[in-house]
Amino acid sequence: MSYRCDKLLPVFTLQRLIAELTSFWEGEGCLIEQPYDLPVGAGTMHPATFLRVLGPEPWRCAYVQPSRRPADGRYGENPFRLGKHLQFQVVLKPSPEDVQRTYLRSLERLGIVLAEHDIRFEEDNWESPTLGAWGVGWQVVMDGMEITQFTYFQQAGGIDLAPITAEITYGLERIAMFLSKLDSIYDVMWNETLSYGQVRRRDEVEMSKYDFEVADAELAQLMLDRHEREAKRCLDAGLVIPAYEATLVCSHQFNILDARGAVSATDRVGIIRRIRDLACACARAYVSGKEGQRSPASEPEPAAV
Amino acid sequence: MNAQDFLLEIRTEEIPAPALLPARMELARAAGEALSEAGLAPKAIESYATLRRLSLIARGIPESQEDRSAEVLGPPEASAFGKDGKPTKAAVGFAKAQKVDVADLVVVDSPRGRTVAARKTIPGRSAEDVLAEMVPKVVAGLTFPKTMRWGDGARALTFVRPVRGVVALYGGRVVPMTLYGVAAGDRTVGHRVLSDGDFAVTGPDDYLAKLRNAYVEPDAEARRIAILERARSLAGEVHGQIEAHADLAATLADLVEWPGLVRGSFAPEFLELPEEITVTVMRTHQKFLPLRGPAGLLPHFIAVMDNDADRKGFIAKGCEWVLNARLADARFFFEEDSRQSLEARLPELSRLTFQEKLGDYRLKTTRIQELSEAIAREIGRLELVEAARTAALLSKTDLVSHVVKEFTDLQGIVGGIYARRERRPDSVWKAVYDQYRPASGSEEPPREASGAVLSMADRFDSLAGLFRLGLVPTGSKDPYGLRRAALGIVSIAIGRNWRADWRPIIRRALSLYPAEVQVLDDDAVVEELGRFFSDRLRSLLERRGSSYDEISAVLNVGVWDFADTADRARALSDARRHMDFRSLILAFKRIRNIVGDEKPGPPSPELYREDAERALAADVLQAKQAIEAFTAAREYREAMETIASIAPSLDRFFVEVLVNCPEADLRRNRLALLASIQQEFTRLADFSEIVVEK
Repeated sequence: MSYRCDKLLPVFTLQRLIAELTSFWEGEGCLIEQPYDLPVGAGTMHPATFLRVLGPEPWRCAYVQPSRRPADGRYGENPFRLGKHLQFQVVLKPSPEDVQRTYLRSLERLGIVLAEHDIRFEEDNWESPTLGAWGVGWQVVMDGMEITQFTYFQQAGGIDLAPITAEITYGLERIAMFLSKLDSIYDVMWNETLSYGQVRRRDEVEMSKYDFEVADAELAQLMLDRHEREAKRCLDAGLVIPAYEATLVCSHQFNILDARGAVSATDRVGIIRRIRDLACACARAYVSGKEGQRSPASEPEPAAV
Repeated sequence: MNAQDFLLEIRTEEIPAPALLPARMELARAAGEALSEAGLAPKAIESYATLRRLSLIARGIPESQEDRSAEVLGPPEASAFGKDGKPTKAAVGFAKAQKVDVADLVVVDSPRGRTVAARKTIPGRSAEDVLAEMVPKVVAGLTFPKTMRWGDGARALTFVRPVRGVVALYGGRVVPMTLYGVAAGDRTVGHRVLSDGDFAVTGPDDYLAKLRNAYVEPDAEARRIAILERARSLAGEVHGQIEAHADLAATLADLVEWPGLVRGSFAPEFLELPEEITVTVMRTHQKFLPLRGPAGLLPHFIAVMDNDADRKGFIAKGCEWVLNARLADARFFFEEDSRQSLEARLPELSRLTFQEKLGDYRLKTTRIQELSEAIAREIGRLELVEAARTAALLSKTDLVSHVVKEFTDLQGIVGGIYARRERRPDSVWKAVYDQYRPASGSEEPPREASGAVLSMADRFDSLAGLFRLGLVPTGSKDPYGLRRAALGIVSIAIGRNWRADWRPIIRRALSLYPAEVQVLDDDAVVEELGRFFSDRLRSLLERRGSSYDEISAVLNVGVWDFADTADRARALSDARRHMDFRSLILAFKRIRNIVGDEKPGPPSPELYREDAERALAADVLQAKQAIEAFTAAREYREAMETIASIAPSLDRFFVEVLVNCPEADLRRNRLALLASIQQEFTRLADFSEIVVEK
């Protein structure tokens, strides 16, 4: 068994990185999903992770997920921090025996020669209070830099999971910066002609200003409250996906409120509980509504329109 | 009998460093015990752990257990033999079932009377059989702070991390067993990156040697020493020293299988940052060893890598890059913070909630100020009032600073640094700096008296407010860290020997909260807190070497002056080492039983009839004066020894005097004498609580 791989990617670009990871995990039998079309804080919130980890069906999936964390925005001035960053998410259910090794092979695919680096799996257990989810795992640290979150999901939506899903979340910007040895995320090349800064800096500047200074906290609060009600209405109507989408809206509005400084430490506890209750209700409804649809492959074809 | 060595290796995915030492100790202990119990005690047992494997080596395990003889009880003698002395059907059947000859049956005395028994020899089992059965049980008995499931998620398979390989060899042969779905074999792997493929091992020494060949140092101590030695020499090359920080070296040793070290540098401009911040970034966030020269921190660090060499310099460069980025981040936050004075941040505290129903940190600040003053007055240290009030005013302002938002474990410290930059006196900035001391993991108390006052005020405020809402910690649930808060108060009061009944402070703290938010009334809070502090005192006194019953004895007569309670506990433990308290304690238990709840009033000397009675009364009177003097001088040990000195007169009294005599007035008077002793002599400790061996 050899890990040696001698060639770096010809020109290191963010889109090349995404393409290589996508192709690697496609080769590992993953379905390539697309980013979810609602603002989310992490790839975990994508239904392809949060809902698919529930229940007994095997599931292997990978996708990029833009992840919004309004409080991390830095007006495009901080070279390491972004209000919206890209995650490359891989979920493998059940977790395969050689999952760590497969992950390391994915790094080799990027041109990393493992023996030339220091690679560690350092304890980092993950918990998402808003999703009623937790897992056990590590942050993968390469040469002192955290590049991946690696988690064995134990519970999601308050439900004990079996089988267990392994979740691998690559921080794409970090890996890109690291591999191209640049001191600022904005200098990373997105493709061969445009930098990350040229593509995204304006988003960061304006979204930071919006999230920290302009966003209407009352509106965010209202959105949160109304979507909470909407989620409950959907659940009553037996509509799990719309209910979960409304829950995602609640979660994002909560993050905006937080960035605006409109959430106190204890309001936080209350709001998190409300969102968790919704996420747990969605998870329960998803599991109980799946009788007769045991495998993703056997889920009914959508009716032709 | 021949003996052979046993080797077990459980190979896993990366185990969290703090779990390694306890796990291997427990593995060695449990395996050793189980083997001894099975009659297969090994000559020596050792265990090793790296983050990817737990290993056990038991040398010299006998090849099999000794044969044992056993008696199996059968029918009673009476029904086993007929009148003619011949075995009955019952005896024949029993012998047949036990596979022995009827003639070999014996009669023994058993709890059931005279009983027929079969004597059998049970052949010892082979070590291999015993190990195959025992090891999975021992491994399943290991405990970890957090366990997990993996793969198909079977509930029965929980371990600290997924198990990926098992080696189990006895005398060079594989012991058949399955651990967590993995069948044992004789092959293992070396370092994840530096070694290729797997290899077979034949026994313990071969295993240890081959591991080292494959870039795995199984011995944590060897890894730790290698790290420290190499770190010292790398530090010396830049005329620096590593900070003595044993914990970090031990942790680092458990994060790698093959420790290599690199030295890196960071931009010297970051040395202008307060050292606490730079060191925290390095040590806590990056697990780097900071280096110090004669003039202070050096712009270098040492990182431990799980690799033998930094072949292309990528590792040092990566570490430098990450550290510089982190420090740049810290400096950005620090500079942002510097634009505003601490006092100017006060209004912002109104937006930071302390607790939903208890308002924000601005309100808490005001309460802590009031309480600080009240505490300083209560302990008679008026000169502390001003500094403590100022420190209290500033104490929470760093919670809204950028640096603390980013590096939460620097709360207090950052406020202290900023206060120092604002040229506040030591009594203020150090008080702010130390306000969360003593913290978990560091027993160090606040340096300044004003800091001790502030730390107590903050904690009393939280305890009063949350208890008032009925949020009393239960079981493992203590989301506000109230146990630690109470323990902090107790240890500060004891450490500084601040004597006070702290109830007025709690009532003052309660009065500072608005009347409407209240679940428990003030009396109930004081009562609950009494129990709560009593438990904290108990654990603290236990750590200081007092026994459970001694602590009960002192807590029974008063909790609320923590320093005094601690003194009484110490005095009692010391006194008991010096003198025999046994008869005194037995006497006090007897008094407690006799007196019960009766309150007979003072005894009348004219009603003493017996010599023993008079002698006791006289001794008591004399002792009482001495005890009062000792107590006033807080010479508790001497006071307690004086109490113990009346034991002979008490013993004599109980031998010669009948308390429950027929004459009602005499009986009442004797009761009164005992009651007065109980009352007078148990002000320091309730001796009847102490356990004595009968």
